[in-house]
Amino acid sequence: MARAKAPVRDWTRRRTAKRERLAAVRPFASGRIVDAARTGDAVQALLRPGDRVVLEGDNQKQADFLAEALAACDPDVVHDLHLLIASISLPEHLDVFEHGVARRLDFAYAGPQSVRMAQLLADGTVEVGAIHTYVELYARMFVDLIPDVALLCAEQADRDGNLYTGANTEDTPTIAEATAFSDGVTVVQVNELVDRVPRVDIPGDWVDLIVESPRPFALEPLFTRDPRHIGQVEILMAMLAIRGIYERHAVTTLNHGIGFDTAAVELLLPTYGEELGLRGKICRHWTLNPHPTLIPAIESGWVESVHCFGGEPGMERYVAARPDVFFTGPDGSLRSNRVLCQLAGQYAVDLFIGSSLQIDADANSSTVTEGRLTGFGGAPNMGHDPHGRRHASPAWLGLRAGEPSALRGRKLVAQITQTFRAGGVPAFVETLDAVQVGTDAGMPVPPVMIYGDDVSHLVTEEGVAYLYKAAGPAERREAVAAIAGATPVGRDADERRVEALRRDGLVALPEDLGVDIRRARRSLLAARSIEDLVAWSGGLYDPPARFRSW
Amino acid sequence: MTAPDWEALLGRTSFIELDARARAGALLDDGTARELCGPFDHLDSPWLEPQGVVPQSDDGVVVVRGRLDGRPAVAIAIEQAFQGGGIGEVSGVKIASALSLATRDNRDGIPTSAVLLLESGGVRLQEANLGLATVAEVCSAVLELRAHQPVIGVIAGALGCFGGMSIAAGLCTRLIMTAEGRLGLNGPEVIESEAGLAEFDASDRTLIWSIDGGAQRVRTALADALVLDDVGALRSAVIEAVRQGVPGEHRSQRIGELRARVEAVDPAHPPEPSGLAAPAKGAPPEGDG
Repeated sequence: MARAKAPVRDWTRRRTAKRERLAAVRPFASGRIVDAARTGDAVQALLRPGDRVVLEGDNQKQADFLAEALAACDPDVVHDLHLLIASISLPEHLDVFEHGVARRLDFAYAGPQSVRMAQLLADGTVEVGAIHTYVELYARMFVDLIPDVALLCAEQADRDGNLYTGANTEDTPTIAEATAFSDGVTVVQVNELVDRVPRVDIPGDWVDLIVESPRPFALEPLFTRDPRHIGQVEILMAMLAIRGIYERHAVTTLNHGIGFDTAAVELLLPTYGEELGLRGKICRHWTLNPHPTLIPAIESGWVESVHCFGGEPGMERYVAARPDVFFTGPDGSLRSNRVLCQLAGQYAVDLFIGSSLQIDADANSSTVTEGRLTGFGGAPNMGHDPHGRRHASPAWLGLRAGEPSALRGRKLVAQITQTFRAGGVPAFVETLDAVQVGTDAGMPVPPVMIYGDDVSHLVTEEGVAYLYKAAGPAERREAVAAIAGATPVGRDADERRVEALRRDGLVALPEDLGVDIRRARRSLLAARSIEDLVAWSGGLYDPPARFRSW
Repeated sequence: MTAPDWEALLGRTSFIELDARARAGALLDDGTARELCGPFDHLDSPWLEPQGVVPQSDDGVVVVRGRLDGRPAVAIAIEQAFQGGGIGEVSGVKIASALSLATRDNRDGIPTSAVLLLESGGVRLQEANLGLATVAEVCSAVLELRAHQPVIGVIAGALGCFGGMSIAAGLCTRLIMTAEGRLGLNGPEVIESEAGLAEFDASDRTLIWSIDGGAQRVRTALADALVLDDVGALRSAVIEAVRQGVPGEHRSQRIGELRARVEAVDPAHPPEPSGLAAPAKGAPPEGDG
């Protein structure tokens, strides 16, 4: 029987399209090098209506020059683009939609643009495919969101297209790979064209076009927390976390979210942690950006290794001087990689601990609040128990569950928050704002950051709740309420039940953990200012101007 | 700072980390401090509560009597954590009265110096004219006392000393600052909101410290000593400043010299902060006092 043979098909349409696109750009380029003054023309010539375009907006660095060029395209020529942007950070990212150049968007995080994002969505100016976590969005670039064009950024390029991405390599190699090996076109803005790059982060044959940007790409110091703003409550919570989680479970591999709560933990290790004799027993291997607040712990010999998602402005010289701790290239500078670090944070660390803005009675947690569509970034990826994990560690096994025939451990996923945020807003609420925001935006699922059943530990200034020990949802709710203070969730806590939960080990108050509240003072911090961090680094840390007060 | 001693920096006991009460006490000789009009006297501001602000029982100013290097002194500290160190009717009167009592002691033959710890954003907006009036009283009390004994101003923290209290700072016999400290009549945000971003960018910290910062104020002789934020270093600097006694002519009296420096600036072509006049002839050299 003859097989049903499809009509003759062209198997190289993408390759042909790529050739045509590059031919269209030729008037504005010499070889790979695009004339910077003609960048707008080049981008417009390259694109076709309906293209799927990755605009590199990482957590930290931004292809801002190319974003401007994209936003300035003529919507009669270039329209209905489908943009993939990991982190919507610049006004230009959304201008592209207002100008009618792009229509559809898939993203992971919209921190600085979260209010405008919510408005554009409500107005129907932007169609959102989904809000992802970082690895999820990058994974889809290899499956059902394969890019036609990628607009990227790097520190330096040579004339063969070899790229040096330096400390902030972040997401560039991943996007470049997804694009280059699917016959998409990669365009890279670089700060500098050089004869020879200090190291090759991305090989030249993955790179089609290069433009020397008139100014360095935008880069935000997102992970710098000034110890001056750490107060007694953050210090108390850090003491509770160290005793109640890190020490109790012997956590040696971990990730910290951004925030003053975890910065306080980092700054208590060389003081409080040292006093407790925990050096070498906890916090040895990290997946973490180069947080300046980790410097004292590194200098005190706590930290064996740190793999980074991205870099942090000001930390370059310090990191380069500590190659045994940080991943560095042969040129001496940091090599970061968001996807690999996220994977490491998902599978290789025992503890994820991060701050939240809202937590409900079931411990579901979200940073989406009324009128703000912030998205997730990487937190949900690391803030869950990965069922694909098979290697055991004492911390992971300590939360074991299941029948002997299928025994398994569990990742520690801790959320840390004060019961009330600034301005007296309760952090514990009956219903997350995310539910309403999700409904308003027509999302199929509410944008919950960390699901309650993934949260193993909850820390507030009241104490620690060991949610993984709860027999069921009812007991879990009781444990959450026990440390939710005077919030709508905590007010209903029954005192006798709290006593029972303490007896059963589901809840620990400061006295149960041997934490002396009176010691929660700023004098316990290893560094109390940015100057102190500079001093700890022996002058190697160069804080950005906005953090200097001298 | 060249080739800083990082170990010394880390080993220090930060002065500005202490609250106002502890700061005042730390400067005075051990065991001599005695607080006047303390929190249990409940001299709190009557104007704050009606405006929805929780008052403080010392109204944010701590007056401590004691000895400095064995000699009678009064330390007056503004609490920066309360209302941004803003001066109100009660707190202002506490400062002025303490200075006046020190003057009276001097007249009665008890030589008493004063130390003002000036972490203040200026007059408390909630108390408006009453606060302004007390700043005038404070200034007048500084002028009276400085004729007898030194009145030493200390600006140690990043909050700085602005508005009304910067005038009092200008009248002090000697001023001690840290590199984090700032001194200016109008704060950066005020200048930006009144004169626009082109005049002053209040988010540009490099710019702010290059003009208002302790290092620049000492370099241009508007303050006298640049000291590390360390209890021991600041106490030594204060003792040394008092020991130098009352000068023949105070900085605020050298009007000709100050005017000449203002006139040397062409507003159409403002100089870079680094190009501002270094101490003119006749001014005390850096570190003197």
